[in-house]
Amino acid sequence: MPTEVVMTSKAVDRFVTRLIEEGPVMGPRERRKQPGFAKFDWIESADELMLQYTTTTVPPKKAFFPPRQPLFEFELTVPPKITPLEEATPFTLVGVHTCDLAGLNMLDDAYAKEPAEAVWPAARARARIIGVDCMPDEYCFCFDTCAGREGCDLFFTPIEHGYLVEVITEAGEDMLRLSDVSRAREDDLNDARNFAAEKGQRITAGIRSSAGDFADILEEGTFEDLWREIAERCYSCGSCNTTCPTCFCFDINDEFDLGLTAGRRVRTWDSCQLQEFALVAGGHNFRRIRWQRVRHRWHRKFLYLYREFDHPYCTGCGRCSRACTADINIVDVSNEIIERARGSEQS
Amino acid sequence: MARESAIPRFGHKPQVAFFDFACCEGCQLSVLQLEERLLEILEHVDVVTWREAMTEQSSEYDIAFCEGSITTEEDVERIKDIRAEAAVLVTLGSCASTSCHNELKNQWSMDEVLDVVYGDDAGQIHTIASRPISAVVEVDYQTFGCPVSLPEFVKVVSAILTGQSYEPPNEPVCVECKRNDYLCVYEKGEVCLGPVTRCGCDAICTGWGDACQGCRGLMDSANIGAMLKALTREEAHSIMRTVIDRHQLTEGEIAAKLRIYNNWPEFTLEEAETDDD
Ligand code: SF4
Ligand code: SF4
Ligand code: SF4
Ligand code: SF4
Ligand code: SF4
Repeated sequence: MPTEVVMTSKAVDRFVTRLIEEGPVMGPRERRKQPGFAKFDWIESADELMLQYTTTTVPPKKAFFPPRQPLFEFELTVPPKITPLEEATPFTLVGVHTCDLAGLNMLDDAYAKEPAEAVWPAARARARIIGVDCMPDEYCFCFDTCAGREGCDLFFTPIEHGYLVEVITEAGEDMLRLSDVSRAREDDLNDARNFAAEKGQRITAGIRSSAGDFADILEEGTFEDLWREIAERCYSCGSCNTTCPTCFCFDINDEFDLGLTAGRRVRTWDSCQLQEFALVAGGHNFRRIRWQRVRHRWHRKFLYLYREFDHPYCTGCGRCSRACTADINIVDVSNEIIERARGSEQS
Repeated sequence: MARESAIPRFGHKPQVAFFDFACCEGCQLSVLQLEERLLEILEHVDVVTWREAMTEQSSEYDIAFCEGSITTEEDVERIKDIRAEAAVLVTLGSCASTSCHNELKNQWSMDEVLDVVYGDDAGQIHTIASRPISAVVEVDYQTFGCPVSLPEFVKVVSAILTGQSYEPPNEPVCVECKRNDYLCVYEKGEVCLGPVTRCGCDAICTGWGDACQGCRGLMDSANIGAMLKALTREEAHSIMRTVIDRHQLTEGEIAAKLRIYNNWPEFTLEEAETDDD
């Protein structure tokens, strides 16, 4: 079994059609009212799949943890009756960019930490994943994740007549029985190498320090002036979290039916930038002030989780910067911190 | 079958009345559009007064849904009477809860307003600056939206029936927009008031691809200063660059956009500079 094969564009269509016949498929689909923009959604037919797309608003983690997820239904009888709402159907997630593969892997690690989260790993176990390579835009800064393959079963790279397909796992190899592939020729391998090289060149944004140094800088400095400047521009809208592939916070609420006799427990994506995120019983809010919340996001991504997992909890996908309608850019702010730290060292 | 759980709170199946003050009555119409959901609600309450939906009327009720802003001296007396009768008073929609765009009239003197609108017939009308109902009487539950956000209306009804409080969400529309995975209208080069507007409508407008106009009013600690900065910045990355260049809004124009739904109490740009600490 070669580890690299070629699938023509037509063959990809047939492959996706067969995948859909086998079970649900989620992938990037063009937004019906906003042509040119893709979102991850269930794909009904192969022509809906938009394999070459720029970063989606919401990352593919929604396949495993939807933004609003009912966990179980309850009836307030004596004793109360609880009906779990567990999904059991296997599915295929298609068209995941390298940065988002990294995001899924990071969430695996975060949710596996004791006390482990129960719903995420079960959902992950149901899915096969097909990755696809992409071209960065001005918001991307995915140096560390841009060549990653970990976390997918097959990986597609666009080449002249279709895709070069790398077989990453046995599940991936097994999926190939649904497809017509041909052997990869030297031209195809060259095409793919050129794609990767161009991708590397297109990444122009970047944090100008090693992850370790950046963590030290954040730990040692206070930067309160900078946080306050950013906070003046920040809406506390949470979009930088609700679009982030590595953010894992959620809120849990019970929703009652009108008669207060039944309802469901639902969890929703939460954000540390929202004013009431750190509000606790008794009315105390330990990050009531906006600049403290702004700082918290950088501390989470680049300091606390770096110390815990040995890498920043950021894939470089740039979604937070794209989504920020205040144009607070994660690379710019990070570099500003680094510059101020280095400036104060010299003076 | 504990289907009649609201009864312990009121001692009987609660009686509901709808009242309107200065408004377009669009909120009442919206409630009628609940259809199936409305029938479900009607299993738990008796509607005794609802001018827009029935001819019968009653002067006794437990729950009063009040739509519209207070804009005359007569309104002030009437809402006080309603408050005296109702065990629970709910403001229905933005006119009632924030004064909505009725407050646009507050930028002129009341004499001018009377003269322009009624001319020689102004004598009988005792107009006052438009204000939300909460500026006159105590309000138990508030719903927002122009017209009222139906998901919130249902939540509030459920809260009333089960004896719980309802705190209007203090998060911007962006939160619901993202939870629905809608495309941000800024990415299409448009300006949206979602980042400063109280959510609770499930981002219905951005879901249809339109910008949020802010009809639910500003959230608490909305950062208006941030909006002034975001839309007038010199340096910006491509998405916001496109928005800034295309619209070229001045601070005054941004403020005017915000004022359409948010002028009670009148906000000033100076205030907008303050942080939430
Ligand atoms: S997206 Fe921007 S404005 Fe919104 S909370 Fe994040 S940094 Fe602040
Ligand atoms: S912090 Fe921003 S750039 Fe980093 S992974 Fe999250 S959304 Fe992407
Ligand atoms: S809030 Fe809007 S829809 Fe409701 S009454 Fe006022 S103007 Fe009409
Ligand atoms: S469309 Fe409006 S409400 Fe939605 S995320 Fe963008 S700014 Fe926020
Ligand atoms: S999206 Fe904005 S304008 Fe539309 S209903 Fe919600 S608050 Fe009102």
